[in-house]
Formats: sequence, structure tokens, C-alpha cells
Amino acid sequence: MSAAALPAAETSPANASRGILLMLLLPGLIALVITFLLPLIWLLRASFASSTMGALSGGDWTVQSYSTVLFDPFYWRVAWNTLVLGFNVAIFAVILSYPIALFLARTESRFRGVLTALAVAPLLTSSVVRTYGWMVILGDRGVINSTLQSLSLTGGVIRLTNNSLGATVALIEILMPYAILAMLSGFGRLNTQLEEAAAMLGANRLRVFTRIILPLSAPGVLTAALLVFVLAISSFVTPRLMGGGRVFVLGTEVFNEATVTLNWPLAAALSVMLLILFSSIILLYQRALRALET
Amino acid sequence: MADHHVVIDNLVKTYPGAQKPSVDHVSFSLPRGEMLALLGPSGCGKTTILRMIAGLIAPTSGAIRLEGKDVSSIAVYKRNMGMVFQAYALFPHMTVAQNISFGLEMRKVGRAEREERVRKALDLVKLTGLGDRKVSQLSGGQQQRAAIARSLVIEPELLLLDEPLSNLDAKLRDEMRDEIRDIQARTGVTAIFVTHDQDEALSMADRLAVMSAGRLEQVGTPREIFDRPQTEFVASFIGAGTFFEGQVAEPGLAVVEGLKSLRFVGEAPVGSTVKLMIRPHRLVLADSAGQPNSFTGTVEHIVYRGQILTLNIRCGGRLLQADLPTHAGVLPEKGDEVTLAVAAQDVTLVGQVAP
Amino acid sequence: MQSNPLLGRFAWNTLIALLYLFLLAPIIVVFIISFDTRQYLAFPPESFSFGSYVKVFQNVKFISAFWRSLIIGAIVGLVAVSAGMLLSLSLVRHHFRGKAAVNFLILAPFLVPHIVLAVGIMLVIAPLGLLDSYPGIVLAHLGITIPYTVRTITMSLMAVDTRIEEAALVHGASPRMVFWRITLPLVRPGLIAGGVIAFLISFDEATISLFIVSVKASTLPTEIYHYLEYSTDPQIAALSVVLILISVGVVMVVEKLIGLRKAL
Repeated sequence: MSAAALPAAETSPANASRGILLMLLLPGLIALVITFLLPLIWLLRASFASSTMGALSGGDWTVQSYSTVLFDPFYWRVAWNTLVLGFNVAIFAVILSYPIALFLARTESRFRGVLTALAVAPLLTSSVVRTYGWMVILGDRGVINSTLQSLSLTGGVIRLTNNSLGATVALIEILMPYAILAMLSGFGRLNTQLEEAAAMLGANRLRVFTRIILPLSAPGVLTAALLVFVLAISSFVTPRLMGGGRVFVLGTEVFNEATVTLNWPLAAALSVMLLILFSSIILLYQRALRALET
Repeated sequence: MADHHVVIDNLVKTYPGAQKPSVDHVSFSLPRGEMLALLGPSGCGKTTILRMIAGLIAPTSGAIRLEGKDVSSIAVYKRNMGMVFQAYALFPHMTVAQNISFGLEMRKVGRAEREERVRKALDLVKLTGLGDRKVSQLSGGQQQRAAIARSLVIEPELLLLDEPLSNLDAKLRDEMRDEIRDIQARTGVTAIFVTHDQDEALSMADRLAVMSAGRLEQVGTPREIFDRPQTEFVASFIGAGTFFEGQVAEPGLAVVEGLKSLRFVGEAPVGSTVKLMIRPHRLVLADSAGQPNSFTGTVEHIVYRGQILTLNIRCGGRLLQADLPTHAGVLPEKGDEVTLAVAAQDVTLVGQVAP
Repeated sequence: MQSNPLLGRFAWNTLIALLYLFLLAPIIVVFIISFDTRQYLAFPPESFSFGSYVKVFQNVKFISAFWRSLIIGAIVGLVAVSAGMLLSLSLVRHHFRGKAAVNFLILAPFLVPHIVLAVGIMLVIAPLGLLDSYPGIVLAHLGITIPYTVRTITMSLMAVDTRIEEAALVHGASPRMVFWRITLPLVRPGLIAGGVIAFLISFDEATISLFIVSVKASTLPTEIYHYLEYSTDPQIAALSVVLILISVGVVMVVEKLIGLRKAL
């Protein structure tokens, strides 16, 4: 009974309700096709176009861009850098986010809402702004270096920016809210009653953690790791600014080919590679999740 | 029947993809000012009928006639029905007065008249002065009253109520039961309400329409339904009772296996198999085992219910339920052997299979 | 894990506090540095002033980019909410073949890296002459914001009991009236939450914007990005604080209306 749609639609002729449905769907679908579906198709097409400067040339198909990517050792190094960055960021972001997520999932504090908002809110501040914050913290005359110097702990400046270390640290912090959010939704099955039950059955706190909390939170942790990894390997604003042009990852190279070198077919081919990397990681993740659940 | 105010004529609803119709050739009618209860277990199609009358869903076939005019093709918002929903469905973003006024606004009634009619409606349901309250500030009973006011203020052709009392607690339910009956009587509106609660149906309605699995089983006054159920379903759904199956040996006399013969009232050809039913409160303590329509057995279980005593008596391999008034002298105890008797007119014929 | 539960609790709370400090460090530091009086980036500040703020508000480039971002964000918010409302209505209230495909198309932009989308959108709108234009950047932002508006509005819509709409229909409201008088007011929290989130995503978005705009339609994040390539002076800190405050405002609105966790 409750399955009935807007009842007026049912009493009026069927084609009228189809007309209404079309009216509801069309604007959004057109917008999504233009801004999502079409770009992906174009991207694929462009990656097979010849690399004449700037514009796409007509109807010719070539694998030139792909062969450039596959046979130039530079791009192999870029791909390797990207993967290393992705793994480092994912591992540390998950380790640092886990306690916060666990705390938020279990706390009965009346500030829980505020604390959750505080942990998640950075998502809604521009990544450019937060990258700038890390430039201030890690810069040559930034928070860390000036503190160390005023304490006379170091003689000279420790280089924390313009290298992959800075990019990694900044990305860890920038992507942590995603990890926290993913874990929080994954921790739904955790509750203090389970822990109390385990404790009453004689488990000490370490065993409660390893036998109850860790297994139950594993899927959430896995989701968080995946999310952070895929966001890290496709980032370019933070690696570009924190790396000062000395960090080469897929994101920065795509941007470079698209806006500086203006080799759009190459930019497209690199994007397709990134997309393939992305999809294979997601497939692996689904395998892993299924393995965890059985 | 043809000149009745509301006529439901052979109504059928089959949902797309469903094997069986949810409502299967149902017909009944109401004279002006009557209150009819659609009674049945959940899923029997009673709410579907109500929603078809309201116009919220379209019938597969059949007609809904108001004053002889078929309204089944008129759009829901032009039918001029009033409906009280199960969870009231008050508009949460409006005040009580705005809720009541909504239907009048849709009918383009002028502001002054609207205010006057809303005030009167509030008085009618005893919510005087609460018009400016938010819906969320009302108690369950008050929300119920507001929902009734909202559907009556538009002076509907027909008032429809979907399980009107199911969301109230027991005490409030009794109060609102009388209240709804009273409001309906005072306004003289023709009303149909849906319920699965037999007490509610028996105490509120002028007549009952009992449904089962999409079909109409019986329409009648509360008394007819309770005392003269025409089908086994009606007999078992409303009130308690003990059922017997027997062979008609001579007119008005059936032979029941494991018992002596039972006299009953009703037409059944000799040789046919009949279903008979005895209400627990129709059984009385008898002196001797010899008289007709008497049962002798052992008391197996006793429940004391204040005014009545409910006995389960093992008698010839079957269990008989009897309600005895507690002021009836010496009461039997568990393990006692008792003899009970019933008058022939209290043995109801509820079904028969031709020989 | 440890013998002394009180000590354990203290250690745990300290750990959480430190992690929060790490998470909020860039925002805190930007806030402090924005009041520095010096022309170059250094820490800690020597003395406090509003000099950087004054400079930002005199910087024509930033001010005009700010207004452009505001206008673009507002248009994106409005369009994404309208399209999202219609899509949500079709998804929640209608049954049709291909619904799963529509659902997938709406959620898919969540699954594709922004940088890949950016290149694709650039390739699509370049031949149309829409690079570095308002329509170009608005289109580019729609794909990534519509999924959010659909999510918040769908949640609000599912919370509306259809019987309330039926009650309005029975009591004389035409379907159009039901939409304007009942459905729309009841999903307003979802509409506003979706709208401000869409606005903020557009307002803060840098990745896709950097591919689409250069001069004429440059947004505030792209201007800051290009500025940061050469200089990191406290002016940017002051500007960042303004951006953060706008975010905080949006966060509070969304939290109050439907809860932040549900919206993201």
C-alpha cells in the first residue's frame, strides 16, 4: 500500500506519468552526461589521438601517447613515486585516524557532536588553504624549524618542504577526515556491550582489543585505507605546492601536460592510466573485503 | 440499495504483477448518516478499499457511486472526501489551525469564512483555543482530534477513517471511541472506518462489513454479525466459540462424532455436512446429563476473569469453551465433572457442504 | 592494556588530543600567522596586527576572484539543488526501468578522481570555446556537486511520510499544490544543506578549476594556488582565514539542518 507512488500519477493515464518522470530526470541527467559521462568518453578518445600541439586533431587513431608513457623510464619513475606516495599516505593516515574514529565511535561525551564535526569539518575547507598551512608549518622559516632553532637543537635548516616528505605529511593530514568518516561508518557494529561481554568472559583489555575491536573494525579500516590511497594517487595541488616542482607524481604530470606542455593526448593517456590504476585498486579492495567477511 | 448515499459496486483491485486480486468483487452500500466498519485481519484488502473510495488508488474494475453518480474516475483532490489517516498525517510544518484551514484554502474559501469555520471545527473536536499550537505540541489524542477537524471542516461527502484508534493507548482509545461516534452523530456525516479490532467495530459502527482475503464475508448490524455469523470465518474472527462438524440426520438435528446429536436452528438438507458453532457464554450448567444438547466432561483449565469464569472442558475427545457468570452459585473446580447445556437457537449454522 | 586504568585513560586522552592538534594544525597556524606584521613568512609572529587583512581587501585580484567564486558557487548551488530535487523526486517517488543505471550515474562521480574528470571536462568544453568562462566552470562543478545535493535531498525526501502528501491530496490539493505547499517545505532542510554544500565545494574547488580557468573566470582557490607558487606571505593567511570562516559557517548550517556526518 505504501508502495504507491504519488497517487495522482496512478489515477492519470500512464503516459502522463511517464512525461512527469522524464521531466524530473532530464535536467539532472543532461548535466551529469555533459559533466561526467561525455568527459570520460572524450578522454578515452583523446588518449588515442596524435599529439599535435594544443588542439585535438581530426579522426586519426594512434597509440603514440601510450607508447610514450610505457617506454619512457621517466613515466615509470613517476608511476612508482605515485604508488609510494599513495601507500605512505594511506598507511599513516589510517594509523593516525584509527584512534580518533575509535574514540568518536565509543565516546558518550556530550561534546560528541562537536568533536565529530571538528574531525570531519576540515573536509570542507579548501585543500589549497590547508596546504598553505603546512607550508607555514614545515617551511624553512616555519613553525618547526624556528622552534628547533630557538631551542638550539639544530644548527641549520632542516628541509621539510620542496620534497616528497612535505607532500606526504600534508596529504596525510588533508585526507585524514576521509579516513575518519569511512571508519566511523564502518564501526557501526562496534559497541561497548560487546567489549563488556568479552571482559566479563575473562578477556583482559589487550585481548578485548585484539579479539573483539580489531576484527570488527577491520572492514572500516580497509575502506578508509582504500579511500585515502585513491585520493592520494590522484592528488596534484598538494604535491605540486609542497613539492615546489620537485615532486613528480601522476597528478602533477597530468596537469603539466594539460596546461603547460599542452600535449592533451598525453595528458589524456596519463589520466586513463590513472583511472586503470584506480579501478584495479578498487577491485582488489572488493576482493579483500569479501575475504574479510567470510 | 440503489437510493443509498454511498454504493460500492463490484469493486476489484488487482495490483500489477499480483497473482490474486487484493479486493475481489466487493459490494456494499450505506444510507446517509450511517457509520460502517470495514473489519478484517491485516492484508484482507480493507485499507485498499478505503483508498479506492478516497481516490488514492484506482480500481481495476467496479464503481463507487455517490448519490447514484460514479466517482471512480474523478481525481482524488476533486472528490470532496474527508480522511483521517492512521498516524493522522498532520502537516508538520503548519499550526493546528493552518492544518484545518488547508482544505478550505484549496477550495478558495475567503479568509473570514475560513477563520470562522476553523473556529467551529476546533470547538466541535474540543480543541478550542489550541489553533495556534504546533502539531508537535499536541498529545496523541489531540492530534487525532485535529485530524478529524481537518477532514470535517470541508463538509465532505463521506468521512473515511483508517484504523483511527490504533495509535492511542488503551484508556484514550475508549474515550476517543465515544468521541468519534458522538461527532459523527452530531454532524450526520456518512462514515466508513477501517479496523482490525472487533471490539472497536462492534461498539462504534451501525453496521459491519467483515472481510477476508479480499472478499466480503458478511455485512450486518453488530448483533447480526455476532449472533448470526453466516460463515465460519466471521464466526471465528468475531468472538470466541467452539466449532463442531456433523451430519444432518433430520431437519434441525445433526450427529456429531464423539457426541450425541446437536439440535440447531437453520436450513440444511438431510445428509449434508454442516459446521456448527456455540458461543462460550451461551453454555449453562445443567442438572442432568440426559437432556438434549448437553455435554458432560472434565474441567481441564479454569481462568477467573472477575465477572465470568472461563472453563475448558474435555468432552468426548474435544475441548469445549464455556463462560459462566461468577454469581451462578457453586462454581466448578479443576478436575470436576460437569454437564453443560445449550439452547437450539444458540447453536449457529456457519457453513455446510452439500451431500 | 595497562595496570593503572587512570593512567591508561590519561594516556589515551592525551593521544586523542595530540591527534586532533595534528588534524587542526594547519588551520590554527594559518589563523595565527594571519595577524603577523612582517612581509614574509616566519614563525612565531613578532607582533600582531590586521595589516594582512587590510592588504587582502585592497588586492584587486583577490577581491575580484572572491566575487567570481561567490557568483559561480551560488549558481552551482542553485542549479545543483534544482537538478538534485528533480532527480531525488524521480528516485524516491517513482519506479521505473533503468533506475539502477540512473542511481549509478549519480553516484559515479564520487568514484572517479577529480583530476581525471578535470582533463575530460577540459577536452569537452575546449572545442565549445568555454574554457576560462563562467558557463564552463559552472558546468565543470555541476558533475561533482549534484551527487551531494541528490544525497541530502533524497534523505530529506525519504523522511517525508507519503501519507502527509496523500492527506493533502484527499483534502483538495492538486498534485502541483501538494508539491509547493507540502513536499517542498518539508524537504527544505535537505535543499538548504545540499545547496550550501554544493556552494562550498564549488567555492573551495581547486583541482578541476585549475584545468578550466586561467584569467577571466579565475576563482579564489586558483588565484591562491598561483600566488603560492611564488610567495607564501601572510596575506594568503588572512585570505585563508576568510575562506575558513565561510567553511565554518557552512558546517554549522549543515550540522544544524541535517547533521554533518550524514551529508558528507
